Amino acid sequence: MNAIEIHNLSKSFRGMYAVDHLCMTVPQGAIYGFIGENGSGKSTTEKLICGHLVPDSGEIKLFGRDYTDPGVRMRVGALIENAGCFPGSSVYQNLMMQCINLGIDNPDEEIHRVLEIVRMEEHASLKFKSCSLGMKQRIGIAMALLGSPALLILDEPINGLDTDGMRIMREILVDITKTYGCTVLISSHILGELEKIATHYGIIRQGRMIMELSAQEMDARAQVFTSLRVADMAGAKAVLSKQYADVREEDGYIRIYDVDDTAAIVDYLMKNGHAVNEISKNKIGLEEYYVELMSKKEVR
Amino acid sequence: MTKDIQFESPSFTRRIKGMLGVDLYRLFHTPLFYIFLAIAAIIPAMVSAMTMMPDQSGNTMEPLYSNVWQIIAASKSLYVIETIADYANMNMVFIFGGIMVSIFIGHDYKSGYVKQLFTTHAKKQDYMISKSLVCALAMACMCITYLIGGTVAGLLVGYETDVSVGSLLVAIFGKIILSLGWASLYTFLNVIFRRYFGISVVSSFFFGTGILIIGAAAIVETLGLPVGFLNVFLYGASVNANLSSGIGSLLICLGVSVAWAVIYNVAGTRLLNKCDVY
Repeated sequence: MNAIEIHNLSKSFRGMYAVDHLCMTVPQGAIYGFIGENGSGKSTTEKLICGHLVPDSGEIKLFGRDYTDPGVRMRVGALIENAGCFPGSSVYQNLMMQCINLGIDNPDEEIHRVLEIVRMEEHASLKFKSCSLGMKQRIGIAMALLGSPALLILDEPINGLDTDGMRIMREILVDITKTYGCTVLISSHILGELEKIATHYGIIRQGRMIMELSAQEMDARAQVFTSLRVADMAGAKAVLSKQYADVREEDGYIRIYDVDDTAAIVDYLMKNGHAVNEISKNKIGLEEYYVELMSKKEVR
Repeated sequence: MTKDIQFESPSFTRRIKGMLGVDLYRLFHTPLFYIFLAIAAIIPAMVSAMTMMPDQSGNTMEPLYSNVWQIIAASKSLYVIETIADYANMNMVFIFGGIMVSIFIGHDYKSGYVKQLFTTHAKKQDYMISKSLVCALAMACMCITYLIGGTVAGLLVGYETDVSVGSLLVAIFGKIILSLGWASLYTFLNVIFRRYFGISVVSSFFFGTGILIIGAAAIVETLGLPVGFLNVFLYGASVNANLSSGIGSLLICLGVSVAWAVIYNVAGTRLLNKCDVY
């Protein structure tokens, strides 16, 4: 079963489409990295799924049910834009309110459980307004985790976090999907971090889904290349171009795309009178792949 | 391998219980409610005390009221105000109550907590019903502190205490019952102006003063027509619950309050279903 299925979803503001006939499929149990430029429609899509916005047209199904089904919506946790907490109330009070809202039987126990997950047990009595940005993000995650949601929707949850905060967040997300079977839809600009945890990707542009693929598919598509340095770069490039199809000089290195047999390259260059100073195997990451994809005018 | 997840559709009672629980928790755990309870108690005391102060020539001013219970309700149904005493009674709670409701609901939107509510509550009626009921409770509590403050102030000032107990009870309970209708009106206004906190406050204040009904009554009276039909409105029914009312007025208050609560809740729910909520 898919956790989210969206067909032809559209939403416009003052005649401009923020989401334009979007189709999206998030498999159950996935960590779905939702990628797109600013204003591409990521947050709007997430708000539509959460029922904050009313769609112009289209269909949203969560776990096979219409998204307006109260039973399924009770099992959705969300962190969109901010934690949505009362600044004058303590962290504990804010979490307590959400426990009451969800009708959780043992709220105190549940609050301690989620605070432990986000490493915030010691700050329960702190007023929300006194918390740092990183702490607020973690409290937002804790709010979303209350009641063991089946679907977690997180909009830029690692914004403002330091390196350690990002690592903690990464561990939390991987842990909850493994432990509770929770599906996570996460949007982020920090693609390097997303790449470490996502099992699926959806790339949105101008309100349209331009590509959906699994991490394995992404891996298969990611180009490998060998980069090297020699004393005579121009001469070596000319020699290599005779042997290999895609040879480029980039960032002070010669890059040979779709080839990772370094021994053969070194051997070939040696035979042609070029001693190799430096050589390494590389793979295009999510960020480079995304940039390349976005730079194309027409994407199918 | 994915886990098989079961989704149990929560009953209406369970949904409302959750939403009401949050609103009640918030009401009793934040200073806003207690500040407005205090305001409701202080206002009648201040009005009574200020009207007993001597003027510039040193003479004591004409007291605003002659009877303690006039602080609670007017002597008779006066839709068009003749003196400030006709207006300055427990009906003022509905003005301050409107401001309290605006702040209470405004905080939902300002903090972003409303996102949590609408994410987990697919039925928008839950929000309208819960806010109307909790704000009605808050306004009913304000009526009680107003009653206490007004009575104590009136007794301290030394006003007369003669009254028809039955009519007094009708006036008090009638106004308390009307809290539901007023709270529903303010919830509806705050849903309309949810993105504009200032307009929410001003509109609540405007409707709370009953100025529309006072204006309508002035026109109707000038035309020599009966004004009784104004009792179908919240302000009209509030005025109708006075120190000369009978049990019929209490029933009018009940009917008007419930009818307007239903109308505003249905209208508010439809609005939330059709518009973006955040």
